Amino acid sequence: MRDEIIVLTDVVLITCIVQRGVADVVIKAAQRAGAQGATVFYARGTGIRQRRMGVLGVTVNAEKEVVYIVASTDQADRIFEKMYVAGNLDTPGMGMIYMTPVEKMATYVPPEIAVRLQEEND
Amino acid sequence: MAVIIEKMSKQIRYGDYLGVVRLKQKAVSYNDTIAFEHRHPRRYRLRPRDFYRLLTPYISVRFLDQARAVLPLVLFLTVFQIGVLQAPVQGWNSVLTGVLAVMGGLMFFMEGVKQGLMPFSEAIGYRLPGRSPMGAVLMVAFILGVAATFAEPAIGALKAAGSITRSDATPLLYALLHGQSHLLVLAVGLGVGLAVLVGMLRFIRGWSLKKLLVFTLMPALGLTAYIAFDPGLAPILGLAWDCGAITTGPVTVPLVLALGIGVSAAVGREDNPLSGFGIVTLASLFPAIAVMLLGIGLSWDGIPGNVAAAVPQHAGPSVFLGELPFLADILSALRAILPLVLILWLVQRFVLKEQTEQPRIIGYGVSLTIAGMALFSVGLDYGLVALGNQAGNLLPAAFARFSSVAGSPLFSYEIGVALVLLFAAFVGFGATMAEPALNAMGVTVQNLTDGAFRKDMLIRSVAAGVALGTTLGVVKVLFQLPIAAFLLPGYVLALMLTVLSSEEYVNLAWDSAGVTTGPVTVPLVLAMGLGLGETVGAEEGFGILAMASLGPIVSVLAVGQWINLRARWLTWVPRTSNA
Repeated sequence: MRDEIIVLTDVVLITCIVQRGVADVVIKAAQRAGAQGATVFYARGTGIRQRRMGVLGVTVNAEKEVVYIVASTDQADRIFEKMYVAGNLDTPGMGMIYMTPVEKMATYVPPEIAVRLQEEND
Repeated sequence: MAVIIEKMSKQIRYGDYLGVVRLKQKAVSYNDTIAFEHRHPRRYRLRPRDFYRLLTPYISVRFLDQARAVLPLVLFLTVFQIGVLQAPVQGWNSVLTGVLAVMGGLMFFMEGVKQGLMPFSEAIGYRLPGRSPMGAVLMVAFILGVAATFAEPAIGALKAAGSITRSDATPLLYALLHGQSHLLVLAVGLGVGLAVLVGMLRFIRGWSLKKLLVFTLMPALGLTAYIAFDPGLAPILGLAWDCGAITTGPVTVPLVLALGIGVSAAVGREDNPLSGFGIVTLASLFPAIAVMLLGIGLSWDGIPGNVAAAVPQHAGPSVFLGELPFLADILSALRAILPLVLILWLVQRFVLKEQTEQPRIIGYGVSLTIAGMALFSVGLDYGLVALGNQAGNLLPAAFARFSSVAGSPLFSYEIGVALVLLFAAFVGFGATMAEPALNAMGVTVQNLTDGAFRKDMLIRSVAAGVALGTTLGVVKVLFQLPIAAFLLPGYVLALMLTVLSSEEYVNLAWDSAGVTTGPVTVPLVLAMGLGLGETVGAEEGFGILAMASLGPIVSVLAVGQWINLRARWLTWVPRTSNA
């Protein structure tokens, strides 16, 4: 079986940028909605919108956390929505979330599942 | 499966079928949004819940940081006082309010420094070397160092701490703390200024901290030895080294670090992973030297005798606090921060010729800094120091007869003294674990040493060093031993370890020692030392901080040696750099 790679399709990437320290909450919500895993990295950056918030702009720090979640297209909307709600993203300055199509991904796929799905497809 | 899908006339989203996607999605073009916002630029109308969501994490995270720092210590002090010393906490409601004020004050202060002072000085540090001649850079560094010292809240605590000194027993020390206290602060300020200057030179020239340390320590130890053998001068040693430990507090450290990071980035040495380090170390050695020199100078002028007579007998801390403590604290906070801000602004406006970016944020930061500092010092007087004083005053009852405590001595002499030493070690350890700056440094160190020196390991070895140092310092105060007997061998040991260690660990150990004696440790340890010193009738209660600052140098260097040995044992070659 070493001469082939099982490539998964119907995949999307959900990227969520939140303030430092919020990623855990967002990830927990995503996992409850069926996300298999998450990658967090630290980043810095601000948007122009926090300048329009007046004094409260100071609560928005440049330190951010970026959450990557790769999800199946069937789960994507549900995860997207739960993350949006958990991150309070309808409040200005709290961050943003976006979903991008992924052409393909590859990772460990349990052999028995791979075999069965291949048989069903054939 | 593919066949089945082909036969179905209608496709339903799996998500819709499960009914899990509850929010309707409404698509709006981002193009339209941008265009609209461009046409109607205006502030967002925030709902109450937005305020709540934005403010809760902002405040709670910052408050919890400080609570985590302060509360374990307060708990320990209370439990010790009630459980071991068997005395109730007097005025517990004012103590409680004070402790809350300390946490709130620290929170405001830290946030203010981060929003206001740090961006200011980092920008200056980054732009100055490119725009101005080297002389101007060094000049600004020097002035900033001096100004930051005046802003340091702990300097005030030191003056209050001098209240038990008597003009007849230790004239020189008394003169330094009362009549000539402005000279003392000036000497410390000059020391820090010089340290920042030399630190900048180090960045620009790329000197090794190791050599610099050896060259600085030699005269410092020589002076210490000279003073130690002069009976008239000897009492100021504890104060001198304590001054060095105190200066590197919450104002100086971030400010100087930010400036240093800016400068070292601008001169293109950012490949050195420990670029921001080193200044803190020098800033705790130079002031000690400066104060020692000041003491020698004063004694040559024959001032002590005159001053002791000329200075009116102050009635202790009440003079320092003033009639209206709140007003006095706010005023002293203003006096401390405003000149610093003014200097930063002048440099930016007239040396760099630049407008201040986001003046409102900076203004917000500066006012927070001032409010935080005032709140912090009010809380310190009524909360932490009051609590530390009570425990410190009662401590001798554990081993000695004590009029205010019924049934004292509470324990036999040996057990009592052991309990006191245990208390000192715990306070040292607890206060250090709580120090916020150390925590931040631990993370940096872990990254810089590629995980060889873990954060927990750093914090624990520093805390253990401080615990050891505090205990030794208390031994000094209790048995009224000369401080030089501890300082000289300690620093000689540190010097030897320094020569043996790699540059990285030297940077680390010396800086962590400077960082340790921060806003939590200083007032507590000072209060404890003075309480103990007062009751055993010592001439002065200084020196504990000096020891608390020496302890971690030795312990971190020792741990560094051990890591290297173990690494060699595991035949893994450590990364060494000759930065």
